[in-house]
Amino acid sequence: MIRYDNIEVRFGDHVAIPDLNLEIGRGEFFTLLGPSGCGKTTALRTLAGFIEPSRGDISIDGEIATRLPSEKRRVGMVFQNYALFPSMSVEENIAFGLRVRKTKKSEIDTLVAEIASQVELTPAQLAKNVSELSGGQQQRVAIARALVLKPRILLLDEPLSNLDAKLRVQLREQLKNLQRELGITTVYVTHDQEEALTMSDRIAVFNHGVVEQVGTPEEIYNRSKTEFVCTFIGAMNRLTGDFVRELQRGGATGLDAGKSSYLRLEKVALHPPRTGTAVVRTDGVVAQRSYHGAFSTYEIESHGSTIRAMVPEGGAEPLAEGSRADLYIEPASVLQY
Amino acid sequence: MRGTLRSMFRSPLVVVVMLVLLWFIASFLVFPNANLLISTFFPDGSFSPRALEKLVSSERAMNSLWHSFLLAATLAVTVNVVGIFIVLVTDYFKIRGARLLWLGYATTLIYGGIVLAAGYNFIYGRYGFITNAVRNVFPEVDPNWFSGYFAVVIVMTFATTTNHMLFLGSSLAKIDYQTIEAARNMGASTLRILWRIVLPALRPMIFAVTVLTFLTGLGALTAPLVLGGSDFQTIAPMILTFSRSTGSRDLAALLAIILGLATIVLLAVMNRVEKSGVYFSVAKVATPLQKQPIPHPVGNALVHVAAYILFVIYAAPVLLIVLFSFLDSSAILTGTITWDAFTLGNYATVFSSPAVLRPFVVSVVYSALASLIVVVGLLFVARVLQKYRNPVTSLLEYLLHIPWILPTILIALALLMTFDTPTPLVGGQVLTGTTWLLLVAYIVVKIPFTLRLLKAAFASVPESLEDAARILGARSLFTLRKVLFPLVIPTAAAITALNFNSLLDDYDAAVFLYHPLYQPLGIAIKASTEGENNLDSMSITFVYTVLLMIIMGFTMYLVYGRNAGPTKRRRRRHPVAGATTAGGMAAARGTAAGTAASPLADPVLAPGAERTDDPSADPDRSRPA
Amino acid sequence: MKKHYSRPAFVTALVLGSVALTACSSAEEGTTASGGEGSSGTLIVYTNSNGDGRGEWVTEQAAEEGIDIEIVGLGGADLANRIVAEKNNPVGDVVFGLNNMYFETLKSEDAITAYTPAWSGEVDAASGDAEDGAFWPLVEQAIVTVYDTNSIDASAAPEEMSELWENDEYQGRYEVNTSLGQATPQLVLAGLLAPYIDEDGDLGVSDEGWEQVEAYFANGSPAVEGTDLYARITRDEVDYGVIPSSGITSRDAEYGTETGVISPENGVPYVTEQIAIINGTDNQDQAEAFIDWFGSAEVQGEFAAEFAAYPVNEGAKAQALPEVTELIESLPKQDIDYALTRERIGEWVEKTELEYLP
Repeated sequence: MIRYDNIEVRFGDHVAIPDLNLEIGRGEFFTLLGPSGCGKTTALRTLAGFIEPSRGDISIDGEIATRLPSEKRRVGMVFQNYALFPSMSVEENIAFGLRVRKTKKSEIDTLVAEIASQVELTPAQLAKNVSELSGGQQQRVAIARALVLKPRILLLDEPLSNLDAKLRVQLREQLKNLQRELGITTVYVTHDQEEALTMSDRIAVFNHGVVEQVGTPEEIYNRSKTEFVCTFIGAMNRLTGDFVRELQRGGATGLDAGKSSYLRLEKVALHPPRTGTAVVRTDGVVAQRSYHGAFSTYEIESHGSTIRAMVPEGGAEPLAEGSRADLYIEPASVLQY
Repeated sequence: MRGTLRSMFRSPLVVVVMLVLLWFIASFLVFPNANLLISTFFPDGSFSPRALEKLVSSERAMNSLWHSFLLAATLAVTVNVVGIFIVLVTDYFKIRGARLLWLGYATTLIYGGIVLAAGYNFIYGRYGFITNAVRNVFPEVDPNWFSGYFAVVIVMTFATTTNHMLFLGSSLAKIDYQTIEAARNMGASTLRILWRIVLPALRPMIFAVTVLTFLTGLGALTAPLVLGGSDFQTIAPMILTFSRSTGSRDLAALLAIILGLATIVLLAVMNRVEKSGVYFSVAKVATPLQKQPIPHPVGNALVHVAAYILFVIYAAPVLLIVLFSFLDSSAILTGTITWDAFTLGNYATVFSSPAVLRPFVVSVVYSALASLIVVVGLLFVARVLQKYRNPVTSLLEYLLHIPWILPTILIALALLMTFDTPTPLVGGQVLTGTTWLLLVAYIVVKIPFTLRLLKAAFASVPESLEDAARILGARSLFTLRKVLFPLVIPTAAAITALNFNSLLDDYDAAVFLYHPLYQPLGIAIKASTEGENNLDSMSITFVYTVLLMIIMGFTMYLVYGRNAGPTKRRRRRHPVAGATTAGGMAAARGTAAGTAASPLADPVLAPGAERTDDPSADPDRSRPA
Repeated sequence: MKKHYSRPAFVTALVLGSVALTACSSAEEGTTASGGEGSSGTLIVYTNSNGDGRGEWVTEQAAEEGIDIEIVGLGGADLANRIVAEKNNPVGDVVFGLNNMYFETLKSEDAITAYTPAWSGEVDAASGDAEDGAFWPLVEQAIVTVYDTNSIDASAAPEEMSELWENDEYQGRYEVNTSLGQATPQLVLAGLLAPYIDEDGDLGVSDEGWEQVEAYFANGSPAVEGTDLYARITRDEVDYGVIPSSGITSRDAEYGTETGVISPENGVPYVTEQIAIINGTDNQDQAEAFIDWFGSAEVQGEFAAEFAAYPVNEGAKAQALPEVTELIESLPKQDIDYALTRERIGEWVEKTELEYLP
C-alpha cells in the first residue's frame, strides 16, 4: 500500500532522514514512534507531500507518488494543532475540501452530516465557530475534515498531544474504533510509547532519522532489536556486569557480562514460578516498596545493581523494606546489546 | 514545501508575484534612486568625499545629529513609561471611564506634525494659557519654560504613544489570564504580577515599539522646529533644506543614509533580541484577560488621578485646535482670546475659495488607491517573502526597505528625473507629467511600513493551516484567498487606514509630482496658508486640520470602531500594530520600522498559535512530552 | 468574532477602492485631454506668486481675455527644482513670480526659452535678462527690515543693518529667518555678503563677510515656525525683522502697527519677479499670448492696485498704491551681482547652514 524506498530528506546541510525503507499494508494502523527530533514527523510530512525527499521514492498503491503534489495523493491529515481555519465555522471547515472540489451543495450537506455523526459532532456544534469548541471537539472536527474526502490514507500527527491525560486515553480508543470501522490505512506519529503500543498494528521506532525496528507492539516490547528501542519502550532495569556474572554463576547460559544488559520490571519475580520455566535465583535487600493497588514495585539492591521489580498483589505476603529477598530471573528475558 | 529556490518557482502564483515584484523594484526603487545617488555622490564620475568632510567639520551638523540621537534615546524611555501606563490603564486595570480615557489617548491617531506642536505651544508656550495662569500666581516663573530639549521630549512623548496603544494593547490582550490568576493565587501583589508576569510577557512587543519610537525620534522634524529653540535643533530640518538645493543634495543624502543605517542596525539588533527572547503562549487554550482591580485604595486613587491628568494632556490640544479654528488669527497669535475673536470666517475662507472640495477628492482618491494597491500587492509579496527564505528573497526584502533610507523628497525627485524620458522599464512611457507618478511615489513610500506589518501578520498564522488547506486540495491562490487572507485582513485593513490617513495631507512627494489639474490637499493647504499678506494662515491650517481629523477619525472608526459590542470591545481595538498619522518622512520612517518577528495580528485560533518556528531549524516538529 | 470583525473592514476597503477607481478613470480622461503633453486648451502656469488670492485673480482675468490657464502654485525653491527636474518632459508652459536668481538657474539649465514680449520696450531690460532676453521682469519688491513705530521711535532704530548685531542694545531683539531654503532668507544672506565679495575669500567672500553672517545669526532671535513676524513684534518678543515690502500694508491693518523701515545707505536687496516660457512647451502660441497679456501695462497696473505690488512696467507704475510707490522710491537698491549670487548661493546657504545658524 505505502512504500518508502531509500528515502533521504535534507534540510540544507542537515540530513534529517538518511535512508528510509518502510512498507505499510492496506488497512494497517501503523505508528511512527520516537523521541522529539527523530525524523518521524518528517517521514509523515514526506508521505503527505509537504516535504520533497532529496533521494528515493514514495509509492502509494503501487504508484510512485514522490512528485505528486500533496492534494493529488488522496491522503487526509490531522495536524498536531488541528490547523482548523479560524475564519470559518465548524461546518465550513469540514466542507472546505468538498468546496474546493466543487461538490454540489446538496451533496456537501449530506457528506458533512454523515461524517459529523460518525465523529459525534452535533448539528449545533457544526454551526459554531471553531474557537468556541473544546480541544477534544476540535480534534474531532479535524478528523472529520480529513475523512470527509474519503482519503486512501489517514495521517495523524500527534493528534492527542494537546489534550489532557484522561481525554487522551478516551479518544485513543475512539480513534482506534473509528479506524477499525472505516478500515482506512492509518499512519500515526507519536512520541508516546503507550499510545503506540495500545493502538498500533505495527510500529516503526525512529531514532536520529533511522528506523531502529519495525514490528508489532509485542515484538517491539518483548524482542527489542536495539538498545535504543529497548530503553525507549517501557521501563527497564539496567544490569551491571557483576549482576550478570552472578546470574551466570547461578547457571544462566548464553549471557555475556561485557555487554549492556537490560531486564523488564515484570520479568523479575520474588517467588519461584509455579511452572517449570528455567529460572536463576539470586538475592538482594529490599530498599523500597511502593504499593500501586493491583501491583507493587520493589527496589532491591542486588550485586551492585538496583533491581526494580513489578509484582502482582494478592499472592504472597509483601516483603518489608530492609528484609532479604530472593530474585527469580529467566535468563532468556535478559536483553543484551 | 520548504523555501528553496527550486520549490519557490514551481508555483505559478509565486512566479507571477516575483516577476511583478522584480519589475517594480527595478523600475521604481532601484533604478531611480541609484540614478539620483550616483549623480549626487559621483558628480564627475568619481567619488567625492566632500559631503563627509563638510558634515564632520560642521559643529552645527554634528550637534543636530547628536540631538536627534539624544531625542531618540530619551523618547525610547519616556514613551515607554507613558505608553505602558496608558495601555495598562485602558486595557489591564479596572479604571472608571476607561473607554473615555481610551478615546482621549487615541487622539494621537488623528493629528500630528506642526498642528500638534502648535497646539502644545498655545497651551504651555510663552503665551500659552497654562503659562499665563501660572505666571499670574508666580510671576517669577520663566515664560519660556516650555522650550528646548525638555519641551520637545514632552510633546513627542505624548504624540508618539500611538504605537503603544495599537501594538502593545493587542499584545496585552493575548496574555494568558491563567498565568495572572496563578500568580495571584501564590500571593503575588498587583505590582509584582505586573513586573514579573505581565511586562515580561509583553517584552517582545515593548522592544518592537521601542524601536519604532527611537526611529520617530531620529526623524523628528516639527516639534524641535517649533519648540526646540536654538539649543535643541535636530537634523531633519537640515536634511530638508539640503534636499532642495542641487549643490547640497549630497549632504542631504549622506545624512539620510546615516539615519537609515541607524534604522537598519537597530532593526537587526531588535530582530536578534526578539529571536532570543520571544515568549509564546504555552497554554493550548488561553483564557482571555480580565481587568484587574487595584486593591490598594491609595494606589487606586493615584492611578485614577494620573490617568485623568494624562487624559487632559492628550485631549486638550485637540479641543484647542477645534476652538482655534473658530478664532481669528491675531487672537491666536497674540494669545488674547476674547468673545469677539470667535468667528466663522476661517471656515468661510476655506469653503468660499472655488473648488475647495476638489483637493479633498483628489487626495482621498490618491491616498485610497495608493494604500489599497500597496496593501493588496504586498499581501502577496509579504506572503512569498515570509514563506520562502533564501538569498534571493532576503535581497528583495532589503531592497523594499529603500524608501526608509531616503527622504520622500529625494524619492520624488528621483522618480521625476528618471521617468521624464521614455524608459523600457515602463513600456517606453513617459511618466513625468502624468497623474501616475504621484501614485507610484505614494505606493513606494508606504512599502516598508506595510511590508513589515503584513509579514508579521503572516508569521503569526500557523503554517499547518496552509498545509491543511493544501492536503484538502486547495490550490495556492484559493488557500490564500479563503484561508490566509481572512486571517490577515484585519491587519491589512488597519494598515490601509493608517496609510490612507498619513498620505492625505502629504506635501513632500506631491510638491514635485502632482499633476497640475489634480491638486492634492497638502499642496492646497500650503497654498492657502502661504502668501505674504495671508495673515490667517494659522487659522486656516486649523480649519484644514479639523477637516482632516474628521476624515481620519472616520477612517479609523471604519477599521477600529464599528460593531464594537460591549464584550468584544477590547479586542476590536487591536487588529494591528499601527502608526501615528503624522505625515512626512519622519512618520514614514519612524512608524514603519521593525515589527519584524512579532506576531501583531489578533491571536488566531489559540492552538497552534505558537507555531512560528523555522522548519529548517527544527526539521522534526515532534514535541517533547 | 473574527468574521464579524473583518467583513466590514473588507467591505470598506472595497467601497473605497471602487470609488477611487472610478474617480481615477475620470482623472485619466482628464490627463489625456489636457495633460502635460497635450497641446490643446489649458495653459499650465507655474508660479510661487499665487498666494493671497493672486492665483485666482490671474486665472479669472486671463479667462476673460480668452486664455484658459491652470495655476500650479509652489514655494520658490520647490518650484525651481520641479521645473529643472521636469525639463526633459515639461509639464508647465509658463513660469512667473520667481526672482532673478531662480530664473538664472532655470536659464542655465535650459529649462526656459527666450521670448521677447510685446511689452519689452516698457520695462527696464536690465532688471531681467538683458543679455539673452530669456526672462522678463514683472514686479519689484524690496527686502526690508521693519519695526513698529508705535513702540520704537524712528530715532532709536538703527540706521545700518549691521548695528543690529554690533550694538548690544539690539541683542536678541531682531528676528532672523533660518529657513535658508526659502527665497527671502537667501536674499538677506546675499545682501549681507554682497559688500564683501572677494575672489580670494572662502566661496568668493572675504572673512569679514562671513563674520558678519555669523554675528547676524548669533545675535538674532530665530523665527518661530508658524508665527508671523508681526505677531512676535506685537507681543514684544522682537523689535525688528525682515519681510518683503509687499507684505507691510496688510500687516499694519491687521495688527494695528505702523511700520517703520530701516533704510541703509547702501540700499536694500531688491528682487524682481520675472516671467518666461518653459522650454519645450507645446503651447508656445498660447504661452506667448499669456505673457504679452499679463505683462502689459494695463494688467500689471490692475495687479499692482489689487495686490500692493510695484510693477516694473513703466506704464503701470502710476496705478501702484501711493504708499507702495513712496516706500519703494525711498529705498535705494543695494548693488548685488545676481549672476554671481546665483552661482554661489547654494554654497553660501550650505556654509551658513553648517557653520553659522544658531
